[in-house]
Amino acid sequence: MSVPTDTGETCKGLIANGKHQEALALLRKSADPAADFPTQNGYLRTLKKINLANANLQPLRIALVPFYCSLDHFSETLRLWATLEGFELTIFLAEFDTAEQMLFDPTSDLYAFKPDVIWLFNSWRDVLPREKFPDCTNHAQARVVYARLKNLWEAISTHCSAYIFQNNADLPPDRVFGNHAPQISWSRTSILNQFNQILTENCGPGMTIFDLDYISSLFGKRQWSNEPYWYHSKFPFSHDAFGMVSFHAARLLCGLKGKSAKCLVLDLDNTLWGGVIGDDGMEGIRLGYGTDGEAHLDLQRYVLALKQRGIILAVCSKNEESLAKQPFAEHPDMLLNLDDIALFIANWNNKADNIRHIAKTLNISLSSLVFLDDNPAERALVSRELPMVTVPDLPEDPALYVRALDKGRYFELTAYTDEDSCRNDMYKGNACRAQLQASSTDTETFLKSLDMHSKASYLDNFSLPRIAQLINKGNQFHLTTTRYTETELLQKVEHGAICRCYTLTDSFGDNGLISGVILQPNGDTLEIDTWVMSCRVLCRGMEQFIHNDLIEIAKQRSVSALIGLYLPTPKNKMVADLYPCLGYSIVEETEIKRIFQLDIHQAKSLDNHISPRP
Amino acid sequence: MDQHRQQIHNRITVIFRDIFEDETLELYDGMTAADIEEWDSLTHITIVVTCEKEFGIKLNAAEIGKLKTVGEFINTVAERTA
Repeated sequence: MSVPTDTGETCKGLIANGKHQEALALLRKSADPAADFPTQNGYLRTLKKINLANANLQPLRIALVPFYCSLDHFSETLRLWATLEGFELTIFLAEFDTAEQMLFDPTSDLYAFKPDVIWLFNSWRDVLPREKFPDCTNHAQARVVYARLKNLWEAISTHCSAYIFQNNADLPPDRVFGNHAPQISWSRTSILNQFNQILTENCGPGMTIFDLDYISSLFGKRQWSNEPYWYHSKFPFSHDAFGMVSFHAARLLCGLKGKSAKCLVLDLDNTLWGGVIGDDGMEGIRLGYGTDGEAHLDLQRYVLALKQRGIILAVCSKNEESLAKQPFAEHPDMLLNLDDIALFIANWNNKADNIRHIAKTLNISLSSLVFLDDNPAERALVSRELPMVTVPDLPEDPALYVRALDKGRYFELTAYTDEDSCRNDMYKGNACRAQLQASSTDTETFLKSLDMHSKASYLDNFSLPRIAQLINKGNQFHLTTTRYTETELLQKVEHGAICRCYTLTDSFGDNGLISGVILQPNGDTLEIDTWVMSCRVLCRGMEQFIHNDLIEIAKQRSVSALIGLYLPTPKNKMVADLYPCLGYSIVEETEIKRIFQLDIHQAKSLDNHISPRP
Repeated sequence: MDQHRQQIHNRITVIFRDIFEDETLELYDGMTAADIEEWDSLTHITIVVTCEKEFGIKLNAAEIGKLKTVGEFINTVAERTA
């Protein structure tokens, strides 16, 4: 990615004219994670001049815990990239090599800092014996170091609910055994690989392995190793790599906080295939054979794999719809089917309007879209009209398309559930339901025709990531807008809270887990601490189904009342009347909260068209 | 000052002005960390890394901390780029 040399000057001009948002957007678009340290400092100097008051940055507190290394400059580069990715980062930098002191002591400054994320920043030198090269007596080394880390993870989860970033080991380039190193079970190479393997196998909920080794390879291990700076002041890798490490961490924080992109919007001509279907016809487009035909096919392969892991695909093409669909249906080398595309838009309208329509129909925000188009004019138009849509620069050569899409790390994630892999199908199901709804003459007929089933269950390890996702990302159907990490949810249940999870399937498909309720026993009542539901399933009867389930639970525990709590926000107005509609009476009302009560003896179960699944 | 050294002086002046965000900064050979408030051990590393990049040189581990005055920076760069 080339960095315009006058970006700093352009930003200064924008700032001088009070255009701080535009300056930030320009900096974000042109900053290159691979740029060297002096350039990163240049970005930082530019950023310092930008007024971020209206940038809607999400506050995040991160504790950096260096092991035997110095992270002094690194923390500033991390702050730069976190800001560019939408976070207002407050950083606690622990002292050199004080992990045990900071993490075992519940009264330490680190815990007093109340971090949202704790980054355990070890590197390869923390995994190997310091005084010598390993020999055959060190074959258990990886396990020994893992045990140290496991103690730290346990201490963290006992004393707070922060999410953990745990570095793996960045294998150094020097090898006493040369090429044979991996075949000696106690060589540095083998010990470090074993260590990385053990980390992966033991990575539990509430944490993720930060793949420092991958980044060191990407950067180039010889440049990464910058020995003079290690010997001088214990910098674990070259300053020139700070940008790349920080960028990857910032994208991972986006994944953690639900800010990763969810949907890839694809142009067709010269993007998914070579040539223009309208001009070249089915025989003329280049796909599968020839140099660029193979490149386009590899892009389709990558895109299909994205869909299979849960990214929604949409098409936005300037074409006759039937022509545009033809290769999907008929071209023998086409990898993507029409089934893979949740929403297919081919017309002669302005692409920005089409993309707005795509976001609206799929009911996702514009900022969760990535738009891939080979045409620089279309890219510029969409970037200008819809600055919150991510528009990667595609190079001219289709051979480099996959690389251009991948290096942006737009779809970074920290947890992966089976449901994620079905997401495209779910959104496609939604689009179909929307069409069915439009054609049904009344709601009752429509709802009955959906043949809906729901399974109600208690929280378990399978539902934990999905419920955490709902709670942390939900804004509209979220009565109290609570935000709990996976660790916090487990702790709540351990301390007596009840967490109910609800799925929904219908004749179009499985929506998966779509609602979570947390009940807190309080004397003779059950308080509804949290009720969150996916907006994809509104007004289908789930509200009534869940209501009936909660009454059953209350009866089983012989409580006298359910207490509903509503904390109004600008985004959750749709549920302001939920409790009254379900038969609750208002008990208390202030500006910031409303408390409702449902007496169990008088509570009525409400009809709906959803059948329970055992 | 010979021309080679003068050029280095000018380029290092730009570097210092960027790092310390002071367009009026004037460098002289005897200038040390004591003369600029923000010149601490951390900014020292920034200065060294930036100079290495600017002049295409690499300092030895031992030299990184040893360069104390602006004059010593210029001398080292001059020797390596002669």
